[in-house]
Amino acid sequence: MIIPPEVKKKPLEYIFLVLFFVVGLCFYLFADISDSGKRFVAIALAGGYFFWSLYHHYKRGDLNLSIIIEYLVIILFGIVLLTGSFF
Amino acid sequence: MKHFWSHFFIPQEKNNHRAGLLRTNTLLILIAFYLLNQSVVKFVTFLKPGILGYSSEITVQKVLEQTNNQRQQLGLPALKYNATLSQSATQKAQDMFANNYWAHNSPSGKTPWDFFKTVGYKYSLAGENLARDFYDTDSLIKAWMNSPTHRANIVHQNYQEMGIGVVNGVLGEIKTTLVVQHFGTPVNFVASKVEEPISNPVTSVPTQNNEVVVESVPPVVETTTIPESVLLPQTSEVLSQQNKYVSPLLLNKIISIALFVLIISVLFIDGYITLKNNTHRLTGSTVGHIGFLLVILLLIVSSHQGAIF
Repeated sequence: MIIPPEVKKKPLEYIFLVLFFVVGLCFYLFADISDSGKRFVAIALAGGYFFWSLYHHYKRGDLNLSIIIEYLVIILFGIVLLTGSFF
Repeated sequence: MKHFWSHFFIPQEKNNHRAGLLRTNTLLILIAFYLLNQSVVKFVTFLKPGILGYSSEITVQKVLEQTNNQRQQLGLPALKYNATLSQSATQKAQDMFANNYWAHNSPSGKTPWDFFKTVGYKYSLAGENLARDFYDTDSLIKAWMNSPTHRANIVHQNYQEMGIGVVNGVLGEIKTTLVVQHFGTPVNFVASKVEEPISNPVTSVPTQNNEVVVESVPPVVETTTIPESVLLPQTSEVLSQQNKYVSPLLLNKIISIALFVLIISVLFIDGYITLKNNTHRLTGSTVGHIGFLLVILLLIVSSHQGAIF
């Protein structure tokens, strides 16, 4: 199994990210929540990923505007397509 | 031509070692394309109601079987199919299409129990479950079983019979399938054992004529056999007999999944080639992007369809 160098360098950060995604996913799928609750969970997942990216790149020392925009666009892509499908 | 497409999928010197599809402006174009598609779908459904929509694969037979499967798993007796109840269920669905509403009570004040009375079904206990926009029976039954009030109807110990209406038509400018499930216990049903009814304030009605509803059948698992001919009028078409329509919701979901699969695949290719060539570049985390998009893709794929009432 190939482990990318960026994961090897900061394994704890990626473990935290995976745990965050798994908890969010389980809450979304198994908790008895309404559509607005699900929307909130999806937005929280996106927000959490954005803050993780800020911390991750700040620690790596390469945080700049183009990277922030890249994350924002990826998050926008995910949220727009998710909301378009269900909400 | 080959070079043109490789620019979008493979990181190389010409695209500054970043697959073209992953560039910010390309992703923004994809988002714009998706939003435009949604607007076109909404415009078409507004302009030509009924052009978009769908006919599901739900049948009366499947709903009956799976409802009884759920009961039998809990050790409850299977409900008997009742053609009169199916008639009232079908009339309820047709009434919702005709008067363009989605509720237990019609805008003119008609209650579910009025439909029972219209077809001449005299009940001591009755209930109603509604559903719309489901593609298959599995998802429909799962959604009902996940809702406490609908579940209470399905596993109600005092119901004896069930009728189902599966009707296609246009509701709110979109072609869809409505499923109405009517439960009942005939007024002359004699029971031998009193059991606590499962409360369902939304859809159960109190005993008529002040009769005491008691359970006559011990919880023995039994199979209801229904003659094939009884189940033939499974789907009543209000407007059309054709099954060629596509749901706008399904269309959006398919396009979303396709776009997600495309971007995740390109991220994998991009990450692999970058790793292989040991390229250093200033971009976001490919692993993080794949993880985030996979999570959102899972949410889209696993979220249930339709609506229940």
